[in-house]
Formats: sequence, C-alpha cells, structure tokens
Amino acid sequence: MFQKTELQSGVNLYTRQTAQFKTVSLAIKFTAPLTEETAAARTVLANVLEDSTAQYPTRTKLRQALEELYGAVFYTDTGKRGNEHILTVYAECVNEEYLRNPDAAVFEQLLSLVTESLFAPNLVNGEFDQAIVEREKQTVIDRIGSVYNDKTRFANKRMLELIRSGEPASQSAYGTEQSVSTVTGKSLKDTYDRMLKEDTIDIYILGDVDTDQLTDRAHTLLPFASGSRKTVSDLKSSEGKGNVVPKHIREKQDMKQGKLNLAYSTPVTFKHPDYPKMQMMNGVLGGFAHSKLFINVREKESLAYYCSSSYASQYGLLYIMSGIDANEEEKTAKLIEEQIDAIREGSITDLEIHQTLSLLSNSIRSAFDSAKGQIEIYDQYKLLDEDFSANQLIEKWKMVTKEDIQNMASTLTKEITYLLSGREAIDHE
Amino acid sequence: MNKIHFEQLQETLYHKQLANGLNVYVLPKEGFSKTYVTFTTKYGSVDRTFIPRGGNELVTVPDGIAHFLEHKMFEKEEGDVFQKFSENAAAANAFTSFTRTSYLFSSTTELYENTKTLLDFVQQPYFTEKTVEKEKGIIAQEITMYDDQADWRQYFGTIENLFENHPVRIDIAGTVETIQDITADHLYQCYETFYHPSNMVFFAVGNVDPEEMLKFVEQDQLVKSFEDPEPIVRSFPEEPDHSDEKRKELFMDVSKPKLMIGSKCRNTNMSGKNMLIRELASDVTLDILFGRSSDFFTEAYNQGLIDESFSYEFNLENGFGFAAIGSDTEKPEQLEELILSVLNDAKNNWAITEEQLERIRKKRIGLFMRALNSPEYIANQFTHYNFNDMNLFDVVPVLEGLTLDQLKEAFNDFYYEDGQTVMTIRPTEQSK
Repeated sequence: MFQKTELQSGVNLYTRQTAQFKTVSLAIKFTAPLTEETAAARTVLANVLEDSTAQYPTRTKLRQALEELYGAVFYTDTGKRGNEHILTVYAECVNEEYLRNPDAAVFEQLLSLVTESLFAPNLVNGEFDQAIVEREKQTVIDRIGSVYNDKTRFANKRMLELIRSGEPASQSAYGTEQSVSTVTGKSLKDTYDRMLKEDTIDIYILGDVDTDQLTDRAHTLLPFASGSRKTVSDLKSSEGKGNVVPKHIREKQDMKQGKLNLAYSTPVTFKHPDYPKMQMMNGVLGGFAHSKLFINVREKESLAYYCSSSYASQYGLLYIMSGIDANEEEKTAKLIEEQIDAIREGSITDLEIHQTLSLLSNSIRSAFDSAKGQIEIYDQYKLLDEDFSANQLIEKWKMVTKEDIQNMASTLTKEITYLLSGREAIDHE
Repeated sequence: MNKIHFEQLQETLYHKQLANGLNVYVLPKEGFSKTYVTFTTKYGSVDRTFIPRGGNELVTVPDGIAHFLEHKMFEKEEGDVFQKFSENAAAANAFTSFTRTSYLFSSTTELYENTKTLLDFVQQPYFTEKTVEKEKGIIAQEITMYDDQADWRQYFGTIENLFENHPVRIDIAGTVETIQDITADHLYQCYETFYHPSNMVFFAVGNVDPEEMLKFVEQDQLVKSFEDPEPIVRSFPEEPDHSDEKRKELFMDVSKPKLMIGSKCRNTNMSGKNMLIRELASDVTLDILFGRSSDFFTEAYNQGLIDESFSYEFNLENGFGFAAIGSDTEKPEQLEELILSVLNDAKNNWAITEEQLERIRKKRIGLFMRALNSPEYIANQFTHYNFNDMNLFDVVPVLEGLTLDQLKEAFNDFYYEDGQTVMTIRPTEQSK
C-alpha cells in the first residue's frame, strides 16, 4: 500500500498518493532501544522539539504559525513496541485544494516547519534552552503521574509491574518520574544528536500530493547524516520460567468500584506463526460484544459493565479487565476462568468463530479509513511483510480452526489475579 | 429526494423526509471502506418532564431513564442484538447525551442486512420486568465506574453548580438509587413518546450508494405501521441568570488538584443560523483568549499553573449553554485568579483584534476540513446540528463571515456577573 524508498541504510521513506482524505499527513518515526533512561530523555526531547524552533523561538510564535497554516497539526509523541522506543513527529494539514485560496502553499510550509524542528531546533549556545527543558521535564512528570487518576489504566499498570518488574512489558514509554528528573540540557543534546545519527528512521507521507516529486527531494528535505543505524534486536520472550505459581494480589485506594484484572502469558508473540490464531482466540474470549466474557460476565450475570480481554502480542501477554463490585471478586474471577477453560475444552461454536472473523476483518478494514490508521497499522505489520495488506491478514484468520483456537487457549498460563478496590469494600474480610 | 452539493468541500448530501416523518440523510465518501450509520432520536436525559403520547398531563420520570432505555433496546425476546451485528460483521454501539439517544453501527460489508437490523431493533421495543431488573446491576457498575473518574466528576459537578433547576444538572445515567425505580412501563411510556420516526434522524456516511440507501430505508418504513406524528410537549423549569453554587470542592484519590471554571449562557432560546453563529463565535473567542497561542497559555504554562490536561469548551443547546475551562494544577487558587482576570479583562476592556480573529478563523476552517475525514464526526455532528435547525455544511461560510461584534456579543452572553462557578477536586490527603 505504501511505496518504499530507501534513503540510506536504516532510513526509509514510505509514500502513498490518495485522494481519500482532505488532508496531507506526515509522520517521522525514530526507533531506538527501550530503557528507562532513553524513554525519559527521548520523551522530554519530543516535548522540547514540539515547543519551538530556531525560526519560531517561542511556543506562541510556533503555535501562531500553525494557526496561519489553517490549523495545521504538529505534535510529537513517544511509544514502545517490544523493546523498541519510538519517537514520532506527526504533522497534518488541509489540502490546499479545499481552501478558498488554493495558492496557499500550506503543505510546503508545514514541511519546512517540521524539518526545521528536527534540523534547526531552538538552541542557545549549542544547547537546548534551560527554562524550556525544565518546564517540559515537569510536563512529562505530570503526565506519568496522571495515570494514577484513571483507575482502569492504573490497575493495569500495577498488575504489569507485579509480574514484569523492570522489563519492557511494564516500562512506561515516558520513563519514570525519577529518570525524567535527571535529564539535563546537556544530556538532552546528546540524546538529540544520537537520535539523528543512530536511530532507524521511517518517514511516511500520505495524501493527494505529488509523491514522486517529494521522493526526489527527500534527501534535501531530510538530510539525515549517514551513520550506523542498527535495528533493535527482538525481545527475548520472558516466559518459560518454569511452573510459576500464579500471584493473587489485592490493593486498595479511595475508590468505589473494584478493578479485577487477570494476566496470562503465552509463547505466541507478534512474530510467531500462530499470531493470527491467537488474535482469533482473543476475539472469541473477550474482544467483542459477542465474546464469552461479555455474554457471561455482563449479560448473563450482570456482574460488570465492562469485562474484556486484550492481547499484548509484543509481550506474549493476554489481559482480562473488568469493573465489578469488589464483593463479587471470587465469583467473577471463577466465571472468567471458566470461559478460558471452555475454550480449552473446545466449547466454541461455528457462530462464535464466524462472528470473531467478521469483526476482526471489519476492524482492520475500518482502521484504514483514517490516515493515521493507515500509517500506524502499516508501520507495525511491515515488520512481518512489506507487502502487507488487510486482505492477507483476513485470509490468515479465515484458516483458523476450532482446534487452533483451543490450542491457543491451552498455551495460556495464568500469572496473576489482581484486584484494586476501595478501602471499605474489603473490610468485611 | 434533495441533492445538495457543497462545491468548496467537494461533498454531496442526499436527503429525503419520508411519509412517516423520518428524515433520512446519506453522504457518500469516495475511497472509504466502511459505512457509518446512525439512527438518532431527539430524546436525552433532560427530557424528563413531558406529556406522554396519548395522555394529557405532564409526568416526570425517574432520573437516568433515557440511558436505561438505550441499554434495554439491545435485548430482544430472541436474544441480544449485538450477536446479530457481529454475525454480519458490524461493530455496533449507542450513546445517550443530554438531548439525544443515538444507535449506530459501522461495517465494511453487508450494509443492508446491518441497516435492517438497526432499523428493526430500534423500532421494535421489548421490555419485561425481568430484563429491566437484570440491567440494574450492569448500569450500577457503569455509574460506579464514572464515580471513580475525577475528570467526569469535575465536568458534571461544574454543570450541576451552574444550573439551579434545569435537568442538565442531573447525571445522564441517573444514580444507583434512581434507576431502582425504573419499570418496564416507564420504558414503554418514554419509548412511545420519543421514538416516533418524526422525532428521529437516520444518517449514513461512507461507502454507500445514496439512491439505493434512500430507497431501502423508505421501503422498510413503508411496510411498518406507525401512528400519526404528534407534537411532543416537554416542560422545563425556569432557570435564573446566575449560577446555583459559586464554588464547590470534592476530595478524591487523585495525584494533583483539578480546577474548572464554568460560566452559564443567558440566552439559549435560539436555533438555526443564529445559533450556529453564536456557537462558532464563542468557540473562536475562547481560542483567542485561552488557546495555545494566547498570552494566557504562555503565562499559565510557564508558571506551572496548567499542564497537558488544560482544556476549554463551549456547549449550546436550546435551553442551556455554558463555557468550561479547566486543568490539573498544583496551584488552583492562582490558576483561578489568572483565568478570571483574563475573562474580566475581556469584559471590561474588550480588545480582540481583526488580526487575531483572522488567524483563528483560518485555524477553525482547517480543523473543520480535517474533521470531514471522519465519518463518525460527520454523522454525529450533523445530527446534533439538525436537531437545532442548523446545517453542518454552513460552518465554513459562517466562520468566513464572523465579525468582531459577533464575538463580543457571544462573550457577553456567557460571561457576566454572577454567572460563574468554580469546581475544585483535591487529593484525599489534603482533606486530613
């Protein structure tokens, strides 16, 4: 779906000319190994690069310039995938064709602004402005702290820390409050230099633009120095620790609902040939409103408003999350485990398989209806196959049998049952 | 069938009002795989006092009933409607707001089977005491989940503080207590009153042939029988020109305090183009005063008074309207002072310039164009506008014509003496 051009070893450009959207999108992804320190430094760097540039040295000037470009979007973010840390610069603007003033070179100007943020950032005497660095450190620290306010997310984070302490699966892509606080203007400049020189880089341009012409100009527009860019080696599977005794942990905060989460490990990860089978298993178990968890925990027993499973294929983990009355913990946990047992024993109907295949197919096709969806999904699946298309994946799901789904459920090893609940709720115990 | 072409946007909208009163709209989008279809009734949580169809006296129903009804529409004698949508490869959902209840699906195949399922399940109610009782546990967990969400509590707390009488102050889902009073009879009464096709809008957007879809919906409606349309009589209490509570504080288990300032509109008895002008003029004014390029933002951000959670919004419906500005903050008192000083300064020394307006106008036009990439945005926003006699596709021309006077008038309507409230959420340990 994307046209690939290798600009140099480790730097690739992917373009797609399409009239589907009224906007033109640009994404530049920098990939490096994930550690607590790199995550922290690169997240602060992402914020600092978004704040200002040499030409627009204040936040206000930069934001005004974007407003003048018809509300062009320009932001940075960091994320993780396996043991990779990915810093993304994302920009999007209206295609001039839809403006009253079609001569406004909106995309060209946005392109200059983005390249400037990377190649001519706002440096003072060769270093990032100390005040900006300190302010953005605080912003990242606040962002890390804010997960505490969303009890659903917080419960999942705590559960991962309890089973995968210090490993990529539980590490935040933003680093920790402690590691962010040690970032300095100097260390940030090193992080920046290394990112431009050593990271592998994937550039995406998508929209109704002359992609051939942009490809020809890419070397000049994005003059990344040639360096030795190594791809990050695959994450070693963290399972296989022998017979793990599943943990059972309860924690309390001032809250009303009980968050009951379970985690299972599996040797089937993203690059494993059985990956599409495990996606089907997850769909039958808890990915949708026809899934066993929704039907049995919510609809039949009225125990929860949400009860679903999700498959973190990069880490070989499957989580189940539910929001319940904490007094119903045992009953709910038992019911959840019964659903997995039912799949292992082959209690799966043709209808369930058909529904799951249908909704997985629908979700991947629908995801391609947004520019960002096209970029993000391709960026992930290109690791399996550069000629990736939705139909190829759908074909693989179609091949999955009831026995395959049974086998996938049988690979699951329960690692933890975790309950986060209000202080008064468990007082009776 | 009406065909309306919007040259600048390169979009064509098809519309037909059917004999039973249902408004059907179709917007084809070239290059899209999915079709997003919504079926929406102009009935939300604020419609709690009304004359039931066939009756002649006002009744008031238990809080949370519109949302409860939305949940119960999915359960039928033969089972759960989600099952059927999954079978035909559609992702289905529904939501209830203050003024609307919307049922929807999105699919890339089997468009007409799914459309049929959508029309049928919304137009064939099935409620029993047993199924109603069963739902109470599920909705109680939904309400409890929101009770733990500080952002949610702050936003709805702000609205509750602003309004003394208007039912917008009541939680959309009601409370665990109020939903206990809901019966199958209540659900039928609300259904019969508000789910008549003449009170509803059908909107399909994406990979769809407009003429085929219009014909399909028309045929479907022809073979179903409906009573004659009747005007719906709703009753709303008088709402004074001042906020109900000037200030409220709540303690929750959060990492950092939260502050929100709400400000209530005075004139909300509007519709059509005037309403669209008012809404966009308010949005633009808030962008100029509080947006990321504003002096306020720079000052507040650099002083550490706001973080990435800072946001502001303006909401207007017939009968209620408000602006809300808020952020997580370590210094709620200082942030409150700064926000109020910006607002008071605008009130006393109005100084917004043509240049500022021009820049934000461009920004808003671009944002709107970008939003047109999203079938979800188009369907939901179009329906919201349609129920207030506004037209989504007037957004660009109205933005192009906005004047400084319109900005000032909009500002003066939502910011005035006594119309504000301050809602603060503090971490639990600060209560000790």
